[in-house]
Amino acid sequence: MASSVACLHAASSIQAQGFKGSLTGSPNKIGVFPLRMVLKGFSLDVPLPERKGNCPRSLNLHVVRSSSSQSSIADPIELPSNSNSADSQKKSTEASLILIRHGESLWNEKNLFTGCVDVPLTKKGVEEAIEAGKRIRNIPIDMIYTSSLIRAQMTAMLVMSEHRRRKVPIIIHKETEEAQRWSQIYSEETKMQSIPVITAWQLNERMYGELQGLNKQETAELFGKEKVHEWRRSYDVPPPNGESLEMCAERSVTYFRDQIVPQLLAGKNVMIAAHGNSLRSIIMYLDKLTSQEVIKLELSTGIPMLYIFKNGKFIRRGSPIAPSEAGVYAYSRV
Amino acid sequence: MASAATCLHATSSIQAQGSKHVFPLQMVSKGFSLDMQLRAKRKNFPASLKLHAVHASSSHSSIADPIEVPSNNNSGDSEKKSTEASLILIRHGESLWNEKNLFTGCVDVPLTKKGVEEAIQAGKRISNIPIDMIYTSSLIRAQMTAMLAISEHRRKKVPIIIHNENEQAQKWSQIYSEETKKQSIPVITAWQLNERMYGELQGLNKQETAELFGKEKVHEWRRSYDVPPPNGESLEMCAERAVAYFRDQIVPQLLAGKNVMIAAHGNSLRSIIMYLDKLTSQEVIDLELSTGIPMLYIFKNGMFVRRGSPIPPSEAGVYAYTRAAATQHLDGFSLKLRKLHHNCIFQCLD
Repeated sequence: MASSVACLHAASSIQAQGFKGSLTGSPNKIGVFPLRMVLKGFSLDVPLPERKGNCPRSLNLHVVRSSSSQSSIADPIELPSNSNSADSQKKSTEASLILIRHGESLWNEKNLFTGCVDVPLTKKGVEEAIEAGKRIRNIPIDMIYTSSLIRAQMTAMLVMSEHRRRKVPIIIHKETEEAQRWSQIYSEETKMQSIPVITAWQLNERMYGELQGLNKQETAELFGKEKVHEWRRSYDVPPPNGESLEMCAERSVTYFRDQIVPQLLAGKNVMIAAHGNSLRSIIMYLDKLTSQEVIKLELSTGIPMLYIFKNGKFIRRGSPIAPSEAGVYAYSRV
Repeated sequence: MASAATCLHATSSIQAQGSKHVFPLQMVSKGFSLDMQLRAKRKNFPASLKLHAVHASSSHSSIADPIEVPSNNNSGDSEKKSTEASLILIRHGESLWNEKNLFTGCVDVPLTKKGVEEAIQAGKRISNIPIDMIYTSSLIRAQMTAMLAISEHRRKKVPIIIHNENEQAQKWSQIYSEETKKQSIPVITAWQLNERMYGELQGLNKQETAELFGKEKVHEWRRSYDVPPPNGESLEMCAERAVAYFRDQIVPQLLAGKNVMIAAHGNSLRSIIMYLDKLTSQEVIDLELSTGIPMLYIFKNGMFVRRGSPIPPSEAGVYAYTRAAATQHLDGFSLKLRKLHHNCIFQCLD
């Protein structure tokens, strides 16, 4: 896919400074795991530790407990680092995966169902992307995947504009042979300094069918509140001419598994800039959530989520804080 | 093409405040001989292109004359609709390869932080000019420029990028509310508005190209009208597909009274300007467009009238009658007669 661009595996390590505990940025919630179980989330808390072998610890709200068996966010020593281990060993067994949900779009602002309508970011959404970029500016990135919608693409580009390493993101064009030919790079050195950006409709937001463009009131009038609630809150009931969350998950997880996991296996550090539903579908796959759990999962916008892919498994690492912030270990409730 | 979104014709006028300034086509340095040439060639040119002074022309609307600025006060809407529309051209700002001095062409390189800023500033300048449709290239730096510029727009219509690449894309992006459609500005992406494709120079820096091909050859490709680099486009080839697209797709919108903004690249835009201003190939080679500075044209009675570069509404509108004021508005168009000037080798190349 990115055949014309060679990607160097990041030699610099995923430094401890990138993620010392504090996750969401809210000052009184140091250590809150960014995968917030909002509202009815506590019931979600209990089943998780039993289910997943590779999940670091319980998802207790507001507190991070270090787990003895697996690396935890709070323990810097166990963070994957590249100090003296052989590059090749790291290459084949470890890579970082960053997920970013785009920020506010112009229809979010207007409270319209957006789905796959290609609506750009608001100024606030632009700001969110820039802030997200600051948080991950030291985490190596070799490849970027994004949806075919401008709000995710702009988020990715704005995030990268804050990146410390001076590799240049280049959007790959394969829609036609001409597009491919026209976008060819003729310098090997330049290719090595490039980060391929792959756009994929499979990472698009869930397609909302006949709700797209309507506001809450209109949909209630047209379809009835209960029906709308069911489409929004169920796992497998699609709105008219639209996708259910299940359908969205199917095409995005398939894409992730078939296209992105091989890159991680090859040791490439990957960033995915996408949407609420496509990302939580992927997280459902990474964290082995049930359909009930994924319905309740709410991802913050503009907050990067880091996973380490190691020995074929995904380890959740939380949300990196910006390097300028004081690193705080979440041992205390304060 | 924009069938999923209906566009309202802008009822608010193109205010005089937007165009109180120097005619932006400036003749720098040896410009005076060019001045005469241009006057002779084109009949529909509003004013003479003398440096630093704006002369009001009696026959055509000029920038300095507020009365003749197209406004929508009391004239019938239908009359305005069919005969007048505004056309805004914006060249995107600095890209990451501009910063590195690499030939970019059609490689899809994003904006730098500076380029993002330029787009936002451009948007402030045109925040009051009605826009009904947006055209951009298929490259992210132009698309981002368009979106960032429009994020500053006063009227709260929402730009929506139209997806027609295949049937699924079209179906998936459908809007189901008429009211919402009316509040939308369709954004059409077109490869025909892409930057000139630079073939085997894409990704190379100045030194590499000189080593590989020789300085003179590279200079010829960059400065000639019709000599393409290997596997690339000449400016003529770029102009052909850009102007054909403009004529076939965009002019009909203007004829229908739609106000259009085009966010694109140095070479595709100057190709279009060549068409609008009826420049010769020699003149278009010498044409340099500032980045991030919107250029406004009025399409009236089938003719394009250049209106210069709008200043942001917050700035004092100053008629450029004095030399001091004129130098403030060096943006927009600048016709620099090029010598063999190796330093500006990357200026017009995106």
